[in-house]
Amino acid sequence: MSNISKKFKDMTDTGLLLTITIVVFFLMYIGAIVFQGKGFLKPQTFFNILNANAALIILACGMSIVMITGGIDISVGGVTALVSMSCAVYLDYKGGNVAASMLIAIGIGLAYGLVQGFLVAYLDIQPFIVSLAGMFFARGMTTIVNTNPFNVQNESFVALKDTRIIVPGMGSVNKLGKYVNAYVEIGVIVALIIVILMFCLLRWTKLGRSFYAVGGNKQSALMLGINVKRTKFMSHMLCSLLAGIGGYVYFLHVGSGAATHAQGAEMNAIASSIIGGTMLTGGVGNIIGTFFGVLSLSTIQNIVSSAGLDQAWWTGITIAAMLCIFLVIQSVVMARKKRAVKK
Amino acid sequence: MKSVISKSIILLMIVCMTAVFAGCSAAEEPEGSDAAPAQGEELITIGFSQVGAESDWRKANSQSMIDTFTKDKGYELIFEDAQQKQQNQITAIRTFIQREVDYIVVAPVTEDGWDTVLEEAKDAGIPVIIVDRQVAVSDEGLFTCWVGSDFELEAAKACAWLKEYCDRQRIKQDEINIVDIQGTIGSSAQIGRSKGLKDAVRKNGWHLLDEVPGEYTQAKGREATARMLAKHKDVNVIYCENDNEAFGALEAIEAAGRKAGSNIRAGEIMVISFDGVSQLAIDDLRAGKISCIGECNPLHGPRVRKIIENLENGVTPEKYEYVDEDIFSAYEELTEIQTEGKSYPVKIIGK
Amino acid sequence: MSIGKNRNVTDIFGKLFKNQIFIPLAAMFILLLFNLVADPSFFKITMGYNSAGNPVLSGYLMTILDNGSELAILAIGMTLVTAASGGQDISVGAAIAIAGSTLLRALCGTNTRPDTLRMPIFVAFIISCLVAMAFGAFNGALVSIFKIQPMVATLILYTAGRSIAAWINNNELPIISEPKFGYYGGFIPGIPIPTPFFIAAAMVVIITLVLKFTNLGLYTQAVGINESSSRLNGLNPVFIKWLTFVILGACVAVAALIKVSRLSSINYSVIAKDIEMDAILAVALGGNALGGGKFNMASSIIGAFVIQMLTTTLFKFQVPSDALPAYKAVVVILLVVFSAPVVRDKMSQIIKKMNSRKGAV
Repeated sequence: MSNISKKFKDMTDTGLLLTITIVVFFLMYIGAIVFQGKGFLKPQTFFNILNANAALIILACGMSIVMITGGIDISVGGVTALVSMSCAVYLDYKGGNVAASMLIAIGIGLAYGLVQGFLVAYLDIQPFIVSLAGMFFARGMTTIVNTNPFNVQNESFVALKDTRIIVPGMGSVNKLGKYVNAYVEIGVIVALIIVILMFCLLRWTKLGRSFYAVGGNKQSALMLGINVKRTKFMSHMLCSLLAGIGGYVYFLHVGSGAATHAQGAEMNAIASSIIGGTMLTGGVGNIIGTFFGVLSLSTIQNIVSSAGLDQAWWTGITIAAMLCIFLVIQSVVMARKKRAVKK
Repeated sequence: MKSVISKSIILLMIVCMTAVFAGCSAAEEPEGSDAAPAQGEELITIGFSQVGAESDWRKANSQSMIDTFTKDKGYELIFEDAQQKQQNQITAIRTFIQREVDYIVVAPVTEDGWDTVLEEAKDAGIPVIIVDRQVAVSDEGLFTCWVGSDFELEAAKACAWLKEYCDRQRIKQDEINIVDIQGTIGSSAQIGRSKGLKDAVRKNGWHLLDEVPGEYTQAKGREATARMLAKHKDVNVIYCENDNEAFGALEAIEAAGRKAGSNIRAGEIMVISFDGVSQLAIDDLRAGKISCIGECNPLHGPRVRKIIENLENGVTPEKYEYVDEDIFSAYEELTEIQTEGKSYPVKIIGK
Repeated sequence: MSIGKNRNVTDIFGKLFKNQIFIPLAAMFILLLFNLVADPSFFKITMGYNSAGNPVLSGYLMTILDNGSELAILAIGMTLVTAASGGQDISVGAAIAIAGSTLLRALCGTNTRPDTLRMPIFVAFIISCLVAMAFGAFNGALVSIFKIQPMVATLILYTAGRSIAAWINNNELPIISEPKFGYYGGFIPGIPIPTPFFIAAAMVVIITLVLKFTNLGLYTQAVGINESSSRLNGLNPVFIKWLTFVILGACVAVAALIKVSRLSSINYSVIAKDIEMDAILAVALGGNALGGGKFNMASSIIGAFVIQMLTTTLFKFQVPSDALPAYKAVVVILLVVFSAPVVRDKMSQIIKKMNSRKGAV
């Protein structure tokens, strides 16, 4: 990692914000171990956080890419719900198979990317409005597909859902004196692969660099010969595709379809990206940061719930507070930078 | 300069990360063996995952738990509100396991989808007590026992009341046109109460015009009833699967310019409801707006406590335990109803 | 579609089309026409009596006047915010939950089933108004001082708002039995027109007077059109942006009073759900640029009632409330697509081409 930061001296903003994120995450986790005791010392607690948030990691990766390009997409939560419900209905009511249901998920993602990307990039409509409508459309559509929540019974799907990948050497002994293996779900593997892929994409491909260029300064990106419209379109395409995949991972984790699934997921994805050092103004961001952003966010949620702050309401308040703090930090960092540039 | 600082901090972090993880795997072994003897005289910790706070019944149910498991009685209660989402409940149960609570109490949102997480609880050696709604699991050994109401019986009693009432008022059974405002689809109460109604409809020759979901809330109850009143002009009985839906239904009936009451002949719309927990419902019953309420007893706390005491003393509890429930009405002439060959008294709420 | 008409019809129609207010009126006309053809019972208004024995008018049109009122009130604030900041406040639904919860807390204290109210309703309303304005000020500060995009800044309150609302009343759902409290969202005895309509009318009058006798309208437009040049002209854009959010806060408090009064109670997760979408839609339907700058208040207010008409029409045709957002989303997309500069340019080019071809023939 240190090599990389040497290579990309021009991205000190990214480096600084990334550092803040990682420090915050570790401080928080150590704090949790100190104050909450035994639970957080078990590796499985950490793996549970990963299991529960694999989908969010994928959604946040897509969100970061759109945000780096200077846009935003708040439809990802809705797409997740739509994917879950469509796949659930397909698997249980239409007797479909698992492989085809994955194609449905990816298809929904691509369709969303196509429409939203076109509206944002080629018709020049504000991404927020487009994706707000996208979110409401997805949520409404989910109830049209099926109103009532239900658990999927399809056998091969349930088998896939319950597949556990055992992490060697991380298990623990429980109250009964039995040794329990630590495990992660398939979704976590998918999420990690996507994190690596997206990291490589942003760092070492032309497309990745043009995302940064367009988000940083449209004019100079144009002058560099970058096709701004196409780049914006691609960012939305990627984000929605990842929302489709993330939606399926979410579906794989919960194993049910419901209109209320992934409510507020867009918010969590945005918050994770911001905490991970992605700037709302575009041009600055890092997938590794986003990954740690998700971890920080979910760790704090875990702390809130295990601290016995009984109402689930508290989660919303803590996330909002955290987001608020990070937004202000960013705004201060930006203001400083501007001043420095002026000098 | 900046990059040097950030570089070194990142390096530090990586060192930290490896240290923490090495610490994790090294530390957990003695931790596991230490934990057991250290407990002894401590409070008994109970993790309770509640559905939400959607209805008065639910709130009374939560309160009963909170009042029963207090510190001075030797318990520590961790209360988690799932806001109607099964996913939140599963997360809550995982948190309980992670905290190594002594007992897990769950009021499940829906019946299915519990196998995986209950297996985790079983692996962790934590007994699980299910309250209120039931769970459909592949292996009954996954939970210790269940406490709750017999929803089908509640429904059967309410329907028996309606039949008897019609007989006494000389209303022909086939003049009865019912709309069922259902609860959250898939919940035990909804399944039981809907099934009880359907059985009675078949038996008595009533007409069931429609079944619409009302999600146990006042807002949805109102919306659904309003829609049904517009769609079916001849409806004369609204069967609400809880009191909050009934409140919504009463509002909708008034908004449509109709009158709620038992006098079907005079064009009034009869409202039948369940729970009977809040004073408002009883007041509406007394005022004649709601005709009959099948009681659903929310006070599960003491029963769960008894089970836990038994378990502590090594006594295995009954797998399914039903609570006793009444049926309320303000119609004084009907004091006893019969269903399935058994007779039940009707509790008359005086005007 | 309206462009096609415009080409053939008279000059007067052309002038009307150029006026911004044409867009919501045209939408209203289409909806009315649709209802007239599909089911004329839409227009029926009957006189009836409610449970308290008071005369009330009922019918679909009355429902629109009744339920459209909150939306119109929100549209007033939202129009100003849009004009000044070039973004929208998506936390209005959550803020209504907060204001409503505060109102009930002030009236009931910790007793959830009070027989008597702790203070006059007016005082409680002032308190909730101050709270709502404080939250508006918070949003405003994030937008104006910290320069965060309005929609992202308000996303914070959007997430936390309902939690805060629940927290204010300790997650209890107080119910007020005092009949007077129900007047604000229902009917005043003896007056058959729903009260919310009068409240909305009063708000409209107030805002008209404010816009007429102060420079608020001019300043917000100036800030929205070009922030730096407005600063050079001696305006304080930070303050003006902030002020629009505070005004929206006041509108939210009024809407919350109506909403809570309707039920005499509150449900934190359901109250004013998705209303932000409707409010933004009202502004867009009013023909106001969502990117800020010039605005037309009357147009937004008519837009709000048209949105309510759309909702009522959809309800009438048995569309369940959960599926509504899907239909409205389509309307939003169509609206923004047709008002997008790129599309407009393309369209006017096509029209020009057709006209010139006609001229040649």
